[in-house]
Amino acid sequence: MPKDNHHVFADGELSRNEGTLRIDTLDGETKYLPVESIDTLYLHGQIDFNTRALGLLNDHGVPVHVFGWNDYYRGTYLPKREQVSGNTVVEQVRAYDDHDRRLEIAHDIIAASIHNMRANVQYYDGRKEDFESAVDRLENQYARVENTTNVEELRGVEATARKIYYRCFDRILRDPFELTKREYNPPTNEANALVSFLNSMVYTTCVSAIRKTALDPTIGYVHEPGERRFTLSLDIADVFKPILADRVLFRLVNRQQIGIDDFEQELDGCLLTEDGRLAVLEAYEETLDRTVEHPRLNRKVSYKTLVRTDVYSLKKHVLTGEPYRPTERWW
Amino acid sequence: MSDGEDVLKQYLAAERDPHREPRVRITGLMVQYYHVCKRELWFMSRGLDIDRETTNIQRGTHVDENSYDDRRRSYQINGRIQLDLLDSGDVMEVKVSSTLEKPARMQLLYYLWYLDEILDIQKDGVLAYPKERKRETVELDSDARTEVEITIRGIINTVERDTPPELKKKPYCDACLYQDICWV
Ligand code: SF4
Repeated sequence: MPKDNHHVFADGELSRNEGTLRIDTLDGETKYLPVESIDTLYLHGQIDFNTRALGLLNDHGVPVHVFGWNDYYRGTYLPKREQVSGNTVVEQVRAYDDHDRRLEIAHDIIAASIHNMRANVQYYDGRKEDFESAVDRLENQYARVENTTNVEELRGVEATARKIYYRCFDRILRDPFELTKREYNPPTNEANALVSFLNSMVYTTCVSAIRKTALDPTIGYVHEPGERRFTLSLDIADVFKPILADRVLFRLVNRQQIGIDDFEQELDGCLLTEDGRLAVLEAYEETLDRTVEHPRLNRKVSYKTLVRTDVYSLKKHVLTGEPYRPTERWW
Repeated sequence: MSDGEDVLKQYLAAERDPHREPRVRITGLMVQYYHVCKRELWFMSRGLDIDRETTNIQRGTHVDENSYDDRRRSYQINGRIQLDLLDSGDVMEVKVSSTLEKPARMQLLYYLWYLDEILDIQKDGVLAYPKERKRETVELDSDARTEVEITIRGIINTVERDTPPELKKKPYCDACLYQDICWV
């Protein structure tokens, strides 16, 4: 059975009690969490923790993603892997270092990313608005991917596609939500705040999935290593943002599961309230558990599993040269 | 001398010499995998790991030890083979089901061949399926010997390939540990 993600909202202290995690909240409650049942731990409040608690999480291979209040995603504590494979990392770096191989992987990632953006716009075409021209223009960007000859140019194609795509959001989203312009650091309005929060959730989902393979999360193919974050997670997240983040955003807003009063304007931007965050996380986790019949695996798989099989597919590609098939929405 | 014979000769020479290591250490599991799926053998020989949580079915390599009341002892030989010896002196291999009969039989024959060729011990084998209350005797006759030798050459050729053997759907895929890496 796949394990669940666990989200802690309270402020307080995380410690170790024998083989169990213990959380003492500031308002005097104590909770125990069996560490074996956790896939990934998310800390959303102000939590103090010590090395003994981290040691336990490390022993069980549980990554911890820390979300602060003002700057949503703070960072990740990544436990060390039980199995490391020198061979895998060597091949991963080789593929990065070889211009043609790197470009091929980057092509696959960006093509899938644009395909998934297009699938979302197509879904709303005719249903809400006329998106024919946006679909066409995304189609053009998709076609351009094949002909790019270096990664920088490719990033340009992806940026153009994303601009076309985000411009559709205002018409997809029920009033008064609007994106107008994608802004972060900090997000200035509600839609931007939602996109930022959901995107960082997708990113952390990818970090956790990569942790389960022997791939090195810092070596990506589209993004340059040396950025502050795990570049391979940024790469894989590009594929899944339209599937995991944007669909959740549309649903939450259009079904009015989230409203303007779930946000507060702070000095440094627009932020989700705690209730707002809970609603978003619930919808996000529910989406991770959705299943689709996989065309090549003989069974239904959850979206969460798709992230993992994507990483497997990449790993197989770097090790064997067989095609990498990042998830392109087929359902 | 053909290439195939060469590979086998080298393997035998290295195994017989206590100071040498063959290029490929052939285990009983590898013999099984070779007859189930060469691609699985390649993945396994490369130490390709996958997250065990996601696999739906795990292979039943170990049947309940109590399902048999024969008295037997386990031996582990040169880190390659792990076999059970019955009081009668026969080598016994226990399997969950007889659906993968050939791989199980080849594994047992490999043990018998190894004992004979490398350690100069001659034994017969018993293949047992406790769940099905079935057992059969396995002998290393000259046909079986040839089959084992073809298998050994095949294994060495497979694991020394740079890329895995081509993907083909097998009935076994749905129960395979590598399913998720193979088909994605
Ligand atoms: S999934 Fe099928 S093809 Fe792949 S290794 Fe397993 S048995 Fe072989």
